[in-house]
Amino acid sequence: MSTSKPAGLHRRRLIGAGTAAAITGFPNIGFTQARQPIKIGVPTILSGRVAQLGISSRNAMQIEVDAFNASGGLDGRPIELIVRDSRGVPAEAARLAREMISSDAVEFLFDAEPSSGGFAIHEVVRETGTVTLHINSETSSLTADPRQRFWNAFRVARQGIHDSIAGGYYAASVARSRNLRRWMTISPDYAYGRDTTAEFVEFARGFNADIQITGETWPRLFQADYTENITRLNQGRPQAVYSCLWAGDLVTFVEQASIFGLFAQSQLFAVNMADYTTLQQVRNLPRGVHSGNRYLRNFPPVPGNLAFATEYNRRFNTFPTNWSWQSATAVRLLTTALRQVGGTNPREVAAKLKGMTIESPFGAEGTVTMRAEDQTLVDYAIGWGTTISADPFVENMQKADWATIRRLEAEWKRGKGWG
Amino acid sequence: MGFGRDSAIALAVLLVFILLEFTGLRSAGLVDFAIRFATFGLLALSLNLLIGSAGLVSFGHAAYFGMGAYSFGLLMQTGAWSVPAAIMAAVAMTALLALIIGALCVRLSEIYFAFLTLAFQMLLHSLILSWIGLTGGDQGLMGGIPKPPFLGVDLARQDHLAAFSLFCLVASAVALRQILRSPFGAALRMLRDNPDRAAFLGLSVFRYRLAAFVIAGSFAGLAGVLMSLYVSGAFPSFAFWTTSGEAIFMIMLGGVSVFLGPLVGAAIFLMLNDWITAVTEHHGLFLGIILLIIVLGLRKGLLDFAFEHWRARKGSQP
Repeated sequence: MSTSKPAGLHRRRLIGAGTAAAITGFPNIGFTQARQPIKIGVPTILSGRVAQLGISSRNAMQIEVDAFNASGGLDGRPIELIVRDSRGVPAEAARLAREMISSDAVEFLFDAEPSSGGFAIHEVVRETGTVTLHINSETSSLTADPRQRFWNAFRVARQGIHDSIAGGYYAASVARSRNLRRWMTISPDYAYGRDTTAEFVEFARGFNADIQITGETWPRLFQADYTENITRLNQGRPQAVYSCLWAGDLVTFVEQASIFGLFAQSQLFAVNMADYTTLQQVRNLPRGVHSGNRYLRNFPPVPGNLAFATEYNRRFNTFPTNWSWQSATAVRLLTTALRQVGGTNPREVAAKLKGMTIESPFGAEGTVTMRAEDQTLVDYAIGWGTTISADPFVENMQKADWATIRRLEAEWKRGKGWG
Repeated sequence: MGFGRDSAIALAVLLVFILLEFTGLRSAGLVDFAIRFATFGLLALSLNLLIGSAGLVSFGHAAYFGMGAYSFGLLMQTGAWSVPAAIMAAVAMTALLALIIGALCVRLSEIYFAFLTLAFQMLLHSLILSWIGLTGGDQGLMGGIPKPPFLGVDLARQDHLAAFSLFCLVASAVALRQILRSPFGAALRMLRDNPDRAAFLGLSVFRYRLAAFVIAGSFAGLAGVLMSLYVSGAFPSFAFWTTSGEAIFMIMLGGVSVFLGPLVGAAIFLMLNDWITAVTEHHGLFLGIILLIIVLGLRKGLLDFAFEHWRARKGSQP
């Protein structure tokens, strides 16, 4: 190391490297010469009701980026994350993306916005040609619709259609074994809620024609009082209720529905229940709620998944979310591509990402793949189980079969004219 | 002549921006800022025709901003329109919407007028959300907005879009200023200060206010077009009351009585927004405190304050 450098810088580098070593357990850090960092822009939501989306995405990214930097980065080039708050306003998300690209000179974008902001950013990078990984947008059309595809955009998130097929299959088999014929739905009244519910119903009925939807109710997003909707459900006397309410809305609904005794007569299938932020917020979590896995540290039950949750918990004193595993996967995919390319050339990195398979603790079979044909993540772990009131909160997890998901997804795409 | 001088100033502003390209002083950040400044500056300037000149405080001005954005986006997505033709059509559609809503609103005054404009805006917002087949609902207009080049202008390039947006802003500013200087503008101010007297003199309060409403709406529609070009889409939030609120904030910050006040307000608002977003997650808290300080401290817009201060000093000189 040169001794002519300012002491402050020298000390800061040492502290930084020491911290990274402490975090990642790499005792032998090569003190590579500090080089131009690789800047990655992260527009997301850090304030308001869904601040958890941005915070838990950023936390997970930071863990992975620290590990990458501590292990030498890309030939000594560390990654620097530039995370900004769009407050959930799509136009603001587009502005942040544009400014990060032009003013901050970021080389890549991790779009950690929900679908609305995600689509806004999608259009920006369609023009700028910035390699972008969409991390939290689950709306199927973002990658399923060929008109939305271009060379530099990838999705590293679960996808609505995958969850609908897996959920539909699980619901159909439970309905068959318990003879659940009369179903009602309660989902948030916006694009995600309507599309996801329609897809779930389509697949559940495809697997089990006895399922009848006898009624539906559509609360507003961020509604505070569900009395009117619960009354409708109680009057309809369904044997099963499907919901894709999420986060705070799901917590409020479950608590209010428990008071009204809804779950005494109806089985609840809540696709978004199994996420720690939701599970831990519900007072008196009812036993036996059917849920898809958003993120669970014991599903898939592999050491890498548990280690990720433990490290996350150690650093941030809370548990990861679905957004966290997606963010961590995005960093792992990109850093793998960067090292394989040996640089940051966008065309080369995008070509490397296309079709890439990496080992992952979040994979159904130990790996996840960035599918080449539509540049979206596949083979991540999807499963359904039932809730219990204490840790691990969900039991009897049943893993979805990706061969079935792929086959039905292809049929669904053909039906949409996207095949 | 006023018009000649205004046009010269407007041209000079444009030229300075274009010449910055050759000085190396024009950064990518400045180009981005120029587009947003032109967009929100035009929105605030158009609203101030109602608030500052006609004395009509509209809470529903974002309806025309949203209408301009959606009309332009939908027309361009058909693939059958050139950019200038689609802009003119979008502004015409927005003017028609302003005419229909204005005809129902301008008969009322003060709080009744304000709330009725707000109600119509929320009606349009609900329509955008529910007409999913046309608008994309809450996900906004997806699929991007094609921007075929015209007359050598390629709006897919940020620097061209910035120059074009500034051109729209200065041309609109010159036009609005001429409107305010005309007998029509004088009549509007008279209606604001004493509508009974104006009516007694034979002025049609309804017609004058409606004309102002349509003009303001049309320019807000043009601002919406610029916004949709910038984000390559249109979103329901464009027609939401918070967008109207931001425009009112800009006017309050910059000042209502000086013509360029809303532009100064827009610049301050955007700079504050960008700076606060970059340094803190408690965006609303900090922006609110700063706005409170300005509003309570100065009790008027920044340019109003400066202008009155300058006039007082000038008046006190022998």
